[in-house]
Amino acid sequence: MGDTASSKMHEKSLYIKHLSRPRYGLTDFSRLNNHRMKYSNPEIPEGINTSTQHPLKEFALLVGGVLGAVLAVVMVLTLLADRLAVYIPFEVEMRLASRVTEGLPVEEVKSLPIEAYLNRLADKIVAEQKLPPGMQITVHYVDDDLVNAFATLGGHLFMFRGLLEKLPHENAVAMVLAHEIAHIKHRHPIRSMGRGMIFGLAIGMVSSTLGNAMTDRVLANTGGLTVLKFSRDQEWEADQTALHALYQLYGHVDGADRLFKVLEQATENGSLQTPEFFSTHPLSKRRIDNIHAFQVGHPATADATVVALPEQFSTWLIPAAGGQAEGMP
Amino acid sequence: MIDLIIFLALLALGYGFGRYAELKHYRSIIQREKELRDIPAVATKFPPLTKAVDVALVSGSVVISVDYFKRFVAGLRNLIGGRVTAYESLLDRARREAILRMKEEARAFGGHIIFNIKLETSSIHKGRKNGVGAVEVMAYGTVLIKPRKIS
Amino acid sequence: MLVTNIEIIPGKRITKHLGLVQGSSVRAKHLGRDIMAGLKNIFGGELKGYTELLQESREEAMERMIQQAEAVGANAVLNVRFSTSSVAAGAAELFAYGTAVVLE
Repeated sequence: MGDTASSKMHEKSLYIKHLSRPRYGLTDFSRLNNHRMKYSNPEIPEGINTSTQHPLKEFALLVGGVLGAVLAVVMVLTLLADRLAVYIPFEVEMRLASRVTEGLPVEEVKSLPIEAYLNRLADKIVAEQKLPPGMQITVHYVDDDLVNAFATLGGHLFMFRGLLEKLPHENAVAMVLAHEIAHIKHRHPIRSMGRGMIFGLAIGMVSSTLGNAMTDRVLANTGGLTVLKFSRDQEWEADQTALHALYQLYGHVDGADRLFKVLEQATENGSLQTPEFFSTHPLSKRRIDNIHAFQVGHPATADATVVALPEQFSTWLIPAAGGQAEGMP
Repeated sequence: MIDLIIFLALLALGYGFGRYAELKHYRSIIQREKELRDIPAVATKFPPLTKAVDVALVSGSVVISVDYFKRFVAGLRNLIGGRVTAYESLLDRARREAILRMKEEARAFGGHIIFNIKLETSSIHKGRKNGVGAVEVMAYGTVLIKPRKIS
Repeated sequence: MLVTNIEIIPGKRITKHLGLVQGSSVRAKHLGRDIMAGLKNIFGGELKGYTELLQESREEAMERMIQQAEAVGANAVLNVRFSTSSVAAGAAELFAYGTAVVLE
């Protein structure tokens, strides 16, 4: 009984008198309405215009899908950039270097005795590594405690006092130089830059589509791992090339492992604020093992003695002695 | 890193508060729809030609903002395409709320049926990016009011 | 002044059509309201400030339309429509229009 009463209430019936002649203007609008039309207002079930799917489920699917797709695209593009960057002429790279390496003393003349020494040593290694014509290597000395050395665009190498102080003989110094020169030979700096540019471009595109400054943080963090991985491959390649050069220069690779022992120690005792450069490097322990494996395959052809550093080497390291005080801030 | 934490916190806050507000709103909508069920609202332009009745224009409008979580999900959805379910409920809520407010006004007039319902939806651009920050829905129609017995 | 969005009113006859009358109001958002709206953008929910603002401007548009109707000697506006359009970032036009008529 209550049911019929409530439905009565919900149904408004408005009675329409039949009209024989049009009352309003030309059209008889009354014909449009049925006689005794009832206006009811039934309840419409929920969930027709809206989704019943849980929002978190959609969120998970979307985040997974977008991250996967972005990663795939970035990986393909970075690989492509990596392959194509090799074909950029070295002269172009050198011109680029003057712009990109702003803030680094790239244009510095080799006036310090230490720089002259390092460049002489580098020239010998360059000859052994058979660099393509037109490729120039310039070694710069940086008066800083950082245990570091790096190669950058345009064939510029930077050697830090912190690292040189810890190297006991010429072979270890040569290993550092050979490693960095190998980077230049394989065009690693420009390839990394190409990858970085593609990566930045992809991130920029994604974040502008999303219109959210935070989103690119998430994407950058996940994407960074792949770039790291490629850099490690490059390190292995550089190590391998460097060992071959040392083998040809000295007839043996004894003392080369000294470099990695220094790095290992510096990382272990925490005195070294792990420089950014080395964070992408493979573990020193594995690199030492790699050298030992190389030694097995390439027996020494000459007297396996290490070449000592020049007597004044330690004084050269102090720039005041060289008469010039300059270095990285 | 700190940015990521802020971002995740905003996302969680947006999800928590947004979902709570939405469920609460839906409960209120369903409840009020039940109460106002005796005022039908039709999209017909032509009222039945009965004896003289009073008419009045009634309207209801609401501006509802989408929460941070939904905006992020919709942003991701933008990349892929497809149904943006995050905004569907927003618009559904806004339309029903606007209709309810219109009916509440009609009830205040003592009306019993609303004719020629029109719904007007517009997005309110918020900030520099042209993403949907909030939507405004306005519902309007003409309410028929039965004349008083004593005339 | 009778304002409605239907075209015929039961029991009343149109004696004269007076053409289109319109009213519009362009409003910019309010700074104080915008700050609250920024917060609401995180949590979601109704932006009461905006609801009121748009309602006020719509009423103003309607008043202007009625002023036009009065000026032409109408006593009712039929078939009223509303439209909203954003003119520039942060400014919106609320527009109302209808047919001015004289009812018997």
